[in-house]
Amino acid sequence: MQRFFYLLICLLILPGCTSISPWERGTLAKEHMSLEPTPIQDSLRSHQYGSREAASGGNSSSGGGCGCY
Amino acid sequence: MAAIKSSTLAALTAAALALPLTTIYASDEETTFQYGNYQDGARNLFTTQSGLKPIEVDSLQSSTKLKLADRVRLAFNYSQDTWSGATPITTAPLAFGGNNASPLRATTISGASPYLQPNSGLVYVDAEHNPLQQNRDTGAYSKNTQLVHTLSSASPETRKQGDFRVGYDWDEASLDVGAGTSAENDYNSSFGNLAGRLDFNQKLTSVNFGSSYTSSSTEAMLDHDAAPYIEKSTFGRRVQSLANGVKLVTGSREDWAGNVGITQVLNKSALIEGSVSYTASTGYMANPYKVMEVLFIDPTQIVDTEGKLKATMRAFLEQRPNERNQWTENLRYVQHIASLDAALHLDYRFFHDDWGIAAHTFSADWIQPLGDGWSITPRVRYYTQDSADFYSPYLVSNQAASKTTIDPVTQKVTSVKYDPKLLPKNYSSDYRLSGYGALSGGLSVTKKFAKGIELQAGAEYYTHAGGLKLGGGGEGNYADFDGYLINAALKVDLSTLSLANSMHSEHAEHKHHAHHHGAGAPAGIMFDHVLSQAGETMIGYRYMYSNQTGATQNGANTVSDTTLVNRACGGQQCYVTPQNMSMNMHMIELMYAPTDWLTLMLMPQFMDMHMTMRPLDGAPKAPSMTTPLGAAILHSEHEHTTGGIGDTGIYALFNAFEKGSQKITISLGISAPTGDSDIQLRNTHQQDLGYIHYGMQLGSGTWDFKPAVTYTTQIDDWSLGAQLNGTAQLESTNSSGFALGDIFQATSWGSYSWTHWLSTSVRGIYTHQGSLKGAYRGVYHQIGAMDYTNNYGGQFVDVGFGINAAMPSGKLEGNRLSFEWLEPVHDDVNGYQLPREGALSATWSYMF
Repeated sequence: MQRFFYLLICLLILPGCTSISPWERGTLAKEHMSLEPTPIQDSLRSHQYGSREAASGGNSSSGGGCGCY
Repeated sequence: MAAIKSSTLAALTAAALALPLTTIYASDEETTFQYGNYQDGARNLFTTQSGLKPIEVDSLQSSTKLKLADRVRLAFNYSQDTWSGATPITTAPLAFGGNNASPLRATTISGASPYLQPNSGLVYVDAEHNPLQQNRDTGAYSKNTQLVHTLSSASPETRKQGDFRVGYDWDEASLDVGAGTSAENDYNSSFGNLAGRLDFNQKLTSVNFGSSYTSSSTEAMLDHDAAPYIEKSTFGRRVQSLANGVKLVTGSREDWAGNVGITQVLNKSALIEGSVSYTASTGYMANPYKVMEVLFIDPTQIVDTEGKLKATMRAFLEQRPNERNQWTENLRYVQHIASLDAALHLDYRFFHDDWGIAAHTFSADWIQPLGDGWSITPRVRYYTQDSADFYSPYLVSNQAASKTTIDPVTQKVTSVKYDPKLLPKNYSSDYRLSGYGALSGGLSVTKKFAKGIELQAGAEYYTHAGGLKLGGGGEGNYADFDGYLINAALKVDLSTLSLANSMHSEHAEHKHHAHHHGAGAPAGIMFDHVLSQAGETMIGYRYMYSNQTGATQNGANTVSDTTLVNRACGGQQCYVTPQNMSMNMHMIELMYAPTDWLTLMLMPQFMDMHMTMRPLDGAPKAPSMTTPLGAAILHSEHEHTTGGIGDTGIYALFNAFEKGSQKITISLGISAPTGDSDIQLRNTHQQDLGYIHYGMQLGSGTWDFKPAVTYTTQIDDWSLGAQLNGTAQLESTNSSGFALGDIFQATSWGSYSWTHWLSTSVRGIYTHQGSLKGAYRGVYHQIGAMDYTNNYGGQFVDVGFGINAAMPSGKLEGNRLSFEWLEPVHDDVNGYQLPREGALSATWSYMF
C-alpha cells in the first residue's frame, strides 16, 4: 500500500516539471482552487471527526487539546 | 463597475505572480468567527429507552490574521467547546441488563446513572460462554448474544483553547512558529509547533515540513455512581482516593509529530499534494471515563441441570498501551472544471498505527461558484477503520472473580480474588477503537459581499456503522449511531477592506464623518447610532465579562451564613450559597441600512457561565446522597458550567430627531429565544438532579421586546449622551416554567476627545430588574438562595470608565476599538444575592 502511494506521488509529480507562464496561472490563483479553500469549516469538521474516529490528527502538525467527549 | 472589475483582475494577476501557487490562498489579513453545533442521534438500547439526551457540542471559534510588517504575519485563534449529554461508557451483553437502570426503579427509562452490573455481579452463561437471559414471566433461561452500550451522561463542560502563530515570508520560503494551550476541567494540554515551506521550479513546486510537540495531563474524577463498581486495585497509583471519597484518575502524555509534504502544480488547472506524517505518543492515552466489563467464569464448575454456568461481571477502567506510533499518508488533488468554473477536490488518507488500526479516508468536494458572490459546495466523505488489537466489547476471563476456601484442619476461611495477571495487558470497549465505517455528506453555501465580508453556512450528516466497514467484519449494529453538524461563519477580509478604502478614500472619508458623532460613546452602550446612507454596512464584535463574588447581600446589607440558612430559601433552610459567578459573552453586531433613514441590526451571541458554591456554616445536615436533595447538595461541590449560543437580537433603528449635532435615536428590537433555558444537570448518585440554577440558563426562553431611546450631542471636544432602555418579556413564562424579570435602565455619559482619534468617557448607570416569575416545571432541587425566584433582580447603580480609539485614516481607517469598566457603586438586591464585582465591555467595530 505504502509503496503504491509513493509510486503514485512520483508519477503524478513528474509531468509537473513543465513550466507554466505567469499569465497562465490565473485559474490556479482562484480561491476555490486552493488546497484548503475553507479552513475554518475544515477545522470544525476535523475536530468532530477527531473526537469520533481513531485515526485522528496526523494531517498536520499543529498540536491541540483533547475535547474528547 | 468596470473599474472594480479590472482592479479585481489586476489584484488577482498580481497575486498569481507574487504567490507561490501551492500555498494556501487565504488572505493575509482577516478575522473570522464561527459557530458550530454537533448533535449525536439517539443510540439503540433495545429493551430500554434512554431518557438521556444524546451528546451535543456547541463550538465557538474566532481567529485573526494580521501583517505586522511587510513579511511578518501574526495569527491568533481562540476556540471554545461546550458539551453535555450522554455517550457510551461501556458495552455488555443485553441479557445482563446494563441500562436497565437502578434496582430502586426497576422500570426506569430515564434518570439512570451508569449501571454497570447487577449488584452481586452474578450472571449466567451457557457451556460455550454465551450470555443467558432469564425470561421474567417463566423464569427460564435462553441464549442471547445481543450486545448493548451502557450510556452515561455528562453535565455541561467547557474546553477553551488559545493559540498563536508567527510567520516570516522570504521570496521563496516561509517559516512559522506557533504555540498554544487548551484547558478543560479534566484535561490540559500545551503545544508548540514549527512549520516551513520552500518553493522551487518557479514556484510550481513547494516542499512543506513541520513538527510539533504536545504535553497533556489528565485529572479526572470518576463518576460517583460508577466508582463503587469499578475495579481499581489493578491500577495502582493511577487512581487516587481523595479525603472526600472522590476517586481521581491522573496521567500525563507527550506527543511528538512531524510531517513533510510536496505540492506540485501539474498544469494550469490542476495541482496535487502528497504528504507523510508521523506521530509518536507516550503516556496515559486511555479515556478515564470508559470501562471494560469482564465476565469471570470459574473453570472448575460444571453446568447445572438447566445448562447454566455461573459468571461474575466486574468493571475495569480501560487500559491502553503507553505508546502509540502513528503514520499518515495523505494525497490531495485539485482539478479545475473549466466549463463550470468549478473546482473538484479529491482527498485520500491512509492512517495506520501500532495499535493495529488501519484507516482509509476518501473525500470529495465540488466547489461551484454561482456568480454574484455565491458559491455552493456539496461534499461526501467515507472513512473506514480496523479495530485496535486490544478492542473487545467485553472480556471473558477463565477464573473465578473470587474464591473462598476452608482449611480442612483449621477451618479458617480465606477469600482469594482473581489474578489480574490472567487479564490482557490492554483492553478497551471504546466504540471508536472498533472496526466500522462512517459515511458523511454535506453542503455548504458561501456568499461573498463586496468589501471583503463573507458568510458561510454548512450542514453535514454523519453515520457510523459496523456494516459500513470496508471488507466487512465490522462491529455489530448495536454500536451504530448518526449525528449532524451545522455551522455558520463570518469572515472579514481586512486587506480587501483597506484596499477598498484606499481606492475610494474620498467616499470613505465622507462615511467617516457621518459616523463621527457616535465615536465617543462608551463600549457598554448599544443602539446609539444609525448608518446614514442606504447600502452602508457595519460589522462589530462585542465582548462582555461580568463577575459576582463576595459576601452575600440582602437588599443593600451583607448577611451572615446563619441568616442565609434560615431566611434565603423561602420557608426552607439553605444548604449552600454561591461563592462566585462569572459570565463571558461574545456578540457579533451586523448593521445594514436598507434605506437612508432605517438601519437594521442582527446580533447573535455566544456565552458561557461558571458558578462555584460553598456549604453554609450552620446549615442543616444534608440528607443522604441516595436522596435527590442529598445528591444535589453533594454535586454543588463541583463547579457548574454552561455555555453555548445565547438569545439573538433583531433591531430596527432610526433617528427621530436631528438638529446640528443633536440627535435622538430610537431602537425597537426583539430578542429571539435561541439560547437554551432548559439545561439540566446530569444525573448522579442514581438521582435525577433536574434543572440547573436559574441564573445558569443561557437564554430567557421567551420572546422579549427591547426598546431604547438615545439622545446624543457634541459640544466642542465633548460628546454627551443619555439613554433609556428596557427589556419586557412578551410571554408570561418560557417552556421550562419561568420568565426573567423585566429590565429598565437609564444611563448618561460624557466623553472627551483628547485627539482626533482617542477619547475617554465617564458614565453613570441605573438599572432596575424585576424578580423571576413562575418557577421550573419539572424536577428541580432547591439547595441555596439561587434556586428561589425572588432572589433575582434588584436596583443597581454603576459608574463606567471607558476609553475609545477610532482610526480616522490610514490602513486601519474605519476601525474602532473601545473598552469600558463598570464599577458597582450601589447594589440593592431582591432577596439574597452575591454582590457584583464589576463588568468589562470591549468592542471592535468596522464601518464601511
